[in-house]
Amino acid sequence: MALRTLFKSGVVLDIYFFKNNRSAFLFTLIWPYLTLTLIIGMGYLFGSAESFKQNVGVSVDPLMYFIASTLATMVSLDVMWGIGGSVLEHRWIGTLPYILLSPNRTSITLVLTYIPRYLLNAGIQLAEFAPLIFVVEGFYGGLFRLSIVILAITLGMLPLLGFSALFTSFLLSIKEESNVLGWLNPLILLFSGAFYPAYLLPRWARIISKALPSTYTIELARLSAIIGSPELRKITLLIGALVAMSVIYNSASGLLIQAGERKAMRKGAI
Amino acid sequence: MKPVALVRMKAVLYLHTIRLWRYKWSFLNMILSEAAWVFLFVLGSLLFVPKEQLTTVVKGAFWVIVAWSMISNFSSLVGGWMRFFISIGMVEEHLLRGFSPFKTLLGRLVTGSTVIISSLLFMAVLVKGAFNVDLLTVDQIALLIIGMALLAIESLSYGFTVAAISMRTSVPGNLLEILNLGVIGLMMIPIHSLPERTRLIYLCIPYTAPSHLVKIAISSVPPELVREALILSTMVCVTMLIFAILAMKLANLWIKKNGVKAIGFW
Repeated sequence: MALRTLFKSGVVLDIYFFKNNRSAFLFTLIWPYLTLTLIIGMGYLFGSAESFKQNVGVSVDPLMYFIASTLATMVSLDVMWGIGGSVLEHRWIGTLPYILLSPNRTSITLVLTYIPRYLLNAGIQLAEFAPLIFVVEGFYGGLFRLSIVILAITLGMLPLLGFSALFTSFLLSIKEESNVLGWLNPLILLFSGAFYPAYLLPRWARIISKALPSTYTIELARLSAIIGSPELRKITLLIGALVAMSVIYNSASGLLIQAGERKAMRKGAI
Repeated sequence: MKPVALVRMKAVLYLHTIRLWRYKWSFLNMILSEAAWVFLFVLGSLLFVPKEQLTTVVKGAFWVIVAWSMISNFSSLVGGWMRFFISIGMVEEHLLRGFSPFKTLLGRLVTGSTVIISSLLFMAVLVKGAFNVDLLTVDQIALLIIGMALLAIESLSYGFTVAAISMRTSVPGNLLEILNLGVIGLMMIPIHSLPERTRLIYLCIPYTAPSHLVKIAISSVPPELVREALILSTMVCVTMLIFAILAMKLANLWIKKNGVKAIGFW
């Protein structure tokens, strides 16, 4: 089966998923704004923007900070859940044995059929937040900040694909994907500094956060919230980190996934 | 109590306790993930708090989250279980033996309470580790118990109403999640930040009066409108309970007449 066919089947699957599941589509639209409103609303109820700047230690706009955080968090979660969770979905609907037996490697099938969903979901969320960013930052300021976020979520997807493929092969081998995915995803986001900067976490947690690709994606997206212009050096450094992580995680996944898949097939973990 | 009723009660309790044990990894996952998600969002909001007010705010936020966890868990664990119960064909089996399926659902209290209490303790450990705030020290324990008991009855009534509705029509779980998140926003509002004229109206909204009592019990808000909150929360509680009982009776009658539709809560 050509890789192009896999990609095409992913596109068709997503279009029909949203077409036949309108409440899920509505939920996709509402969820990011709901998260943003909840955090910002509770924040202003408890304190102020001044305290926020003091606690974060950088002069940032809280609204833009959380828009960037929400976008980067949602897309990171989407990759992890989209690839790892698809194993669960295929197991439930009984298609996992067919995928494991198909000529392409399971991880390749899962990643390639997932990419259209990532592009679609990321596009929807960017389109949702873009008007708010333009209203708050003006046209040119908004365009500049939006470009940083787009850069972060595009580059951030590359190491996350390898990371999630590794994660998937681990889930396939332990047979407890639903019970692991549920708590591991928020934990990864917590260590990645999803809404609370990773540099404010305890030392031991900072060590874990440095190994996670989502940390750099979220940090890069958050540079868009800095009042004034973010330093070019910092942007370059984060891009470098994401590229390096892409190489490391995708090479590691290439080596280890086959072993995970073989173990799953040997043990009949379907 | 009649011996048959006692045997049935024992069977319901046994069913839910044994399911809790058999699905222990799933429930452990539920406890860990719920605490982690809540912690993730709350950490973001706490960035707005001045350092000197952190202790009071963290304590207030924690107890509101416990209250929300109760509402959310009872609605999903009680209301949501009906779908499973319908899909395995157990509603008809129970009706044929003259036992209301809603009475079986009452045993979900075992599951719900275990998840809520374990999440509460796990969250307390997490928050204490992060902010060094003792969350379990309460100034007015009686008021806290009353507030929590009223919240439990209100949320259970809500769960049973959802379960009864799900017998006749579909209940989209996603939209209930949104509603539950709206509730947490409402419960977070300190009553003294509202205009004086609207405070009593605010307390009439389900869950707000008991959560106001909880906030007073832990001294996170000044002790204002205690008597009013007690009266209003009891009234709302009784109304919700009556509504749930009526909904269940009507659903039972409807099933007997029209049969079970495998719809449920999804």
